[in-house]
Amino acid sequence: MITRNILILAFNDLATALKNKTFFLVLFIPLFVFFSMSFIDRFESDPGVVRIGLIQHHTYAPEIIKRVSAAKKFMELIWVQSETEGAQLLYKHKIDGLLTQSENKTSSLALLVLKKDSLKTLAIVQQFSALQKVAEGSGPDWISDITSLHQGGVQREILPTWVLLLVLLVGFIILPAQVADEKEKHLLLALLQTPIHEVQWLISKLILGMVLVFTAVLLLHLLGKFGPVNVVDYVALIAVGSYCFSAYGIFLGFLCRNQASARTLGVIFYLPHLLPAAMSDVSQKLTVVAPFLPSYQLYKPIQSILLDNGRISEMTFDLAYLFILGSLMLYFSYLLMKRRWLM
Amino acid sequence: MQLEIRNLGRLYDQGRGLSPTSFEIKSGELIAIVGHNGAGKSTLLKILANWIIPDSGTCTIDGVDLKNRTAVVGKIGFIPEVPNLFDAFSIEYNLGLFAKLTQTPTVRVEEILQEFDLIPFRKSKVQSLSKGMKQRVSIGRALLADPPVLLLDEPTSGLDFEMTREIYRVMGAMHGDRKTILFTSHRPEEIRNLATRILLLHQGHLIFDGTAQEYFRSSFHENLYA
Repeated sequence: MITRNILILAFNDLATALKNKTFFLVLFIPLFVFFSMSFIDRFESDPGVVRIGLIQHHTYAPEIIKRVSAAKKFMELIWVQSETEGAQLLYKHKIDGLLTQSENKTSSLALLVLKKDSLKTLAIVQQFSALQKVAEGSGPDWISDITSLHQGGVQREILPTWVLLLVLLVGFIILPAQVADEKEKHLLLALLQTPIHEVQWLISKLILGMVLVFTAVLLLHLLGKFGPVNVVDYVALIAVGSYCFSAYGIFLGFLCRNQASARTLGVIFYLPHLLPAAMSDVSQKLTVVAPFLPSYQLYKPIQSILLDNGRISEMTFDLAYLFILGSLMLYFSYLLMKRRWLM
Repeated sequence: MQLEIRNLGRLYDQGRGLSPTSFEIKSGELIAIVGHNGAGKSTLLKILANWIIPDSGTCTIDGVDLKNRTAVVGKIGFIPEVPNLFDAFSIEYNLGLFAKLTQTPTVRVEEILQEFDLIPFRKSKVQSLSKGMKQRVSIGRALLADPPVLLLDEPTSGLDFEMTREIYRVMGAMHGDRKTILFTSHRPEEIRNLATRILLLHQGHLIFDGTAQEYFRSSFHENLYA
C-alpha cells in the first residue's frame, strides 16, 4: 500500500515533468554540454610563472638545476620531501609540475603534472626545451617522460563540473519550482485529501529528483563516451548526492509560496553552491572556501572517482555528510508540510 | 455521522480569520455558511478539510479527531472555490489518479464521468475547460470516495446561470443521498433555496445559527446586505 502510493505519486510527478517540459531541460543540458565541449579552446593565453617541485633526495644534473634556478622570471623551484608530498601539492595547486628521475633514462627527467592537456604543462615543456637549447644546443631532451595525475583529456576533466551542475540544477532549480507549484495551485492539499502520508509524498518527490539526475548524468556519459572505472561506486555516489540535493530542493520549495519565488530562491542557492566547488581546481582561495559547501562534498568525490579511479570506501565522511544533510532537509520539509506552511 | 466542533479557531494578522467557535452538525444537514468577505467562512471550511491547522479547539467526526488526518480523510470531501486539478492532464487522468490513491474501483470513475456528463470530455485537458466544467470535475473528484460530508467553498462563484443550476442540481442530489453538506455563499437565493440551516459569521464570530426561515425573518440578513 505504502509502496503503491509512492509509485503512483512518483509516476504522476514524472508525467508532470514531461508535460511541463522539465524532463527536456535535463536532456538538453547534456546535449548542450556535449556539443559545446567540442568547441573548447585547448589552452589559456598566459601561463604566468610555473612552479616546479623537486624532490630533496633525488640527484638532478647540476646543469639543469643551475639553468632552472636562473630562470626566475618563468620558473619557481619548490623543494619537497618525497614524491607523495609533491603529488599532494599538485592536487592542491601549490605546484604545477614535479620533476623526478626518469625510470628509463637515468640522465633525464620525468615530469609529473596534474593534467597533460594544460597550459601549465605546455609552458613547463617549452621552457625546459628553451633552457636546454641555451645550455647544450642540441641533444636528448631533459624531460623524457610526462605523466599526469588526472587521466584523460579536457572533456573528461570538465566532466565532474558538469555532473555537479546537473545535480544542483535538479536540486535547486527544478524541484523547488515543482514543489512550490503544487503548493501554489493547492495540488498538494488536494493530494492530502487522500489517504497518502506526508512521507510518501516526500519520497515521491525524491524519486523524481533522483530519476532526473540519473537520466541526465547517464546521457552525459553516453554522449561523451566517458565512463568511470568503478561504476558501482559512482552510481552509489550519484545516488547519495542526488538524494541530498533533491531533499535540499524540496525544502527550498517549502520555503516559498509560489513558483516564481522558488525559482528566484533556487538561483540564489544554485550559483554559490556551484561556482566555488567547480572552480576550486583553478583557485587556491576557493579551495579554502569550497569545503564549507555541501556541493564540494559531492564534487570532490565525483572528481576522485572519475579522474583518479577513487573508491567510495575512501569517501565515508563525504557520503555521511551528504546523507545526513539530505535527511535533515527532508525532516524540516516534513515539519513544514505538517504545519501546512505557506500553503 | 456527527461533526462536533469545539472552540475551533484560527486567527491571522489584524484579527482576521475564525475566533474560537463551537457547534454541532448532524447527518444529512445542508448548511450554508454566510458572512462578509473575511468573516472566517473559508477558514472554517479549510480547517475542516485539514487545509489549515487551527490555533485552538478540536473537531471530531464520529468521535475521531480531525488531527488524525488519515483516519478521517475518506469521510470529508472538499471542493475549493478555485478548482485544484492537474491542469496539464485530462479529466480522466485526474479522476483516475485520485481513484488510485483512494483505492476506489475504476468503475466509480466511469460512474462519475456519466453522472456529471463528462464522458464526451474525458480526454480533454483540464486547462482547456471552462470554470463550470472544472468545478464539475472538482465535485466529481471529491465524490470518488463517496464521503459522507462535503464542503463546498462558494461553489457557484463565477459560474453562468446554466452552470449554477447544474451545481444546484448536484448539491440537491447529494443532499438526497443523505450527505452532510456545508457550503459558503454570498447569494441569498442560493441560501434560501438550498440550505436547511444557516450559520452566520461576522468578524470571525458565529452570530447566528438557525433555519433558513428564521434567518430570513431576522434582521441579520438585512443587516448583512444593507
